[in-house]
Amino acid sequence: MFQAYWYMTKLRVLTGLAYRFEVFASVGTNLILMVASVFLWKAAYSGGSGGSAGMTLHELVTYTIVSILLASLFVTDVQDTIYYKIREGKIVTDFYRPVPLLACYLAEDIGSMLSSLMNKVLPLFLVASLLFGMPLPSSWVGMLLFIPSCLLSYAILWLLSAIVGLVAFWVMELGNMGNVKDAIVRILSGSLVPLWLFPQAVQTISAYLPFQYTYQTPLGIYIGVTGTVEALRAMAIQGVWIAILYAILALFWRHTKSKTLIQGG
Amino acid sequence: MATIRHYYSVAACFARLAIQRQLEYPLFLFSWLLMIPIQYFSGIWMLKIIVDRFQPLNGWDFPELAFIYGLGLLSHGINVVLFINTWHMDGMVIDGAFDRLLLRPMNVFFQLIASYFNFIGLIDLIPGVLIFAYGCHLVGFEWTMMNIIKIILVIIGGVLIRAALFITLGTIAFWTKRNASMVGFALSMLERGTMYPLNIFPNLIQLLFTFLVPIGFITFYPAIEFLGKSGEFGLPVRIALWTPVIGILCFWLSQRMFKFGLKNYESAGS
Repeated sequence: MFQAYWYMTKLRVLTGLAYRFEVFASVGTNLILMVASVFLWKAAYSGGSGGSAGMTLHELVTYTIVSILLASLFVTDVQDTIYYKIREGKIVTDFYRPVPLLACYLAEDIGSMLSSLMNKVLPLFLVASLLFGMPLPSSWVGMLLFIPSCLLSYAILWLLSAIVGLVAFWVMELGNMGNVKDAIVRILSGSLVPLWLFPQAVQTISAYLPFQYTYQTPLGIYIGVTGTVEALRAMAIQGVWIAILYAILALFWRHTKSKTLIQGG
Repeated sequence: MATIRHYYSVAACFARLAIQRQLEYPLFLFSWLLMIPIQYFSGIWMLKIIVDRFQPLNGWDFPELAFIYGLGLLSHGINVVLFINTWHMDGMVIDGAFDRLLLRPMNVFFQLIASYFNFIGLIDLIPGVLIFAYGCHLVGFEWTMMNIIKIILVIIGGVLIRAALFITLGTIAFWTKRNASMVGFALSMLERGTMYPLNIFPNLIQLLFTFLVPIGFITFYPAIEFLGKSGEFGLPVRIALWTPVIGILCFWLSQRMFKFGLKNYESAGS
């Protein structure tokens, strides 16, 4: 059983490594984003007026760089996969597989992540280290908590993506709804600008949404703004969100499956 | 005269077909209508948050940032509407769609851009117009006849500089058959280079964006004149009107490149 998933993951690692042009595009684009963001922060901090933010320029630059590294690591292709499989009718053959469909897509995304780690995140990390100094974590404890928190973040992002993907079963033409979701995640996850800097009202609302637990939580732990106790609390909330989103996905998936069978006749 | 009328009728026919094609799926249109404004309104909102929390960015306060951001979006929007086919010339070369253009007795470049009037691209102009109008209001922009003519010329110049960049990159596909990676790269370069004032970047990048890839002229240098800021690199004062001149020059050069590439074009053979 597990072997089947591992095979899908391995296959995806290999295809990921084969597309050189796509890799170049991703690294180049992220590099521009990185350089622009870092100089934006430097301009904001020049003249030593950064006191109101509660974090130093160095912390903020590390936050930004690691955020961009995470964004190119976290592959959640599942929404597009489902969408294309439906459009091209390939979803039917996937249903024949003797393993759960969504688990297959997860295995494939993990494979893409592993190849991204080698050919996107690593070069970006090296260039960022050369340009701005190595973005190190604030402490060993921070680093140790950062990794499990990242895994939980990925689970939340993947479940959100899968739920949006399932909508394609109902509307047939999803268009760019996946990108709409991505745009919302980008703002409310604190991946570009930490939510600590946002107006209070936005912070209050987003505490009740899953988005800030995808990027801001692990990044806050990494740069040491979030203490150990707070970090454990945040990770518990991440766990709660995973449970909620998983329940939604499972429920939705049961309904969707029966609907597809009817359509297929 | 007859030729112009002929070209016009072909363009109009192409445009009608393209619009019909894009209206086929309502949710597709709707998703763009959601995404583009979210993307750009949040972009300017982020800048506001940064300026509110810290200080003006190298002397540029929020109204001025809104002005430059909106100005950049206007030429971006028009470029997306008219010239989007220059973004995926490599795809056309590979699947043989480009060969079809060569068979018809019309100007190839005209066919390339006329064959897809990007109706959805008009959505890019919504945040552009709103943010620019808001920025103009905040900085107290004077709507004199002279200024209006200048702004129009600057926007046209900006569109031409952007188009020239994509035409040049697209021409590379005649030889390499692949350039999608460079288009994505150029897009993010244009976005970051035109929506923020250039002087927040190191001198090397500023020089690069002034003399090598002149995207500084799309928003930064015109904004300097309109907003009465100090110039860079000892460029003369009336730098706003350089934009249309440089735009025409870049566009002319890219046309030469395109013609040269066309001469050496070999079909991908499909």
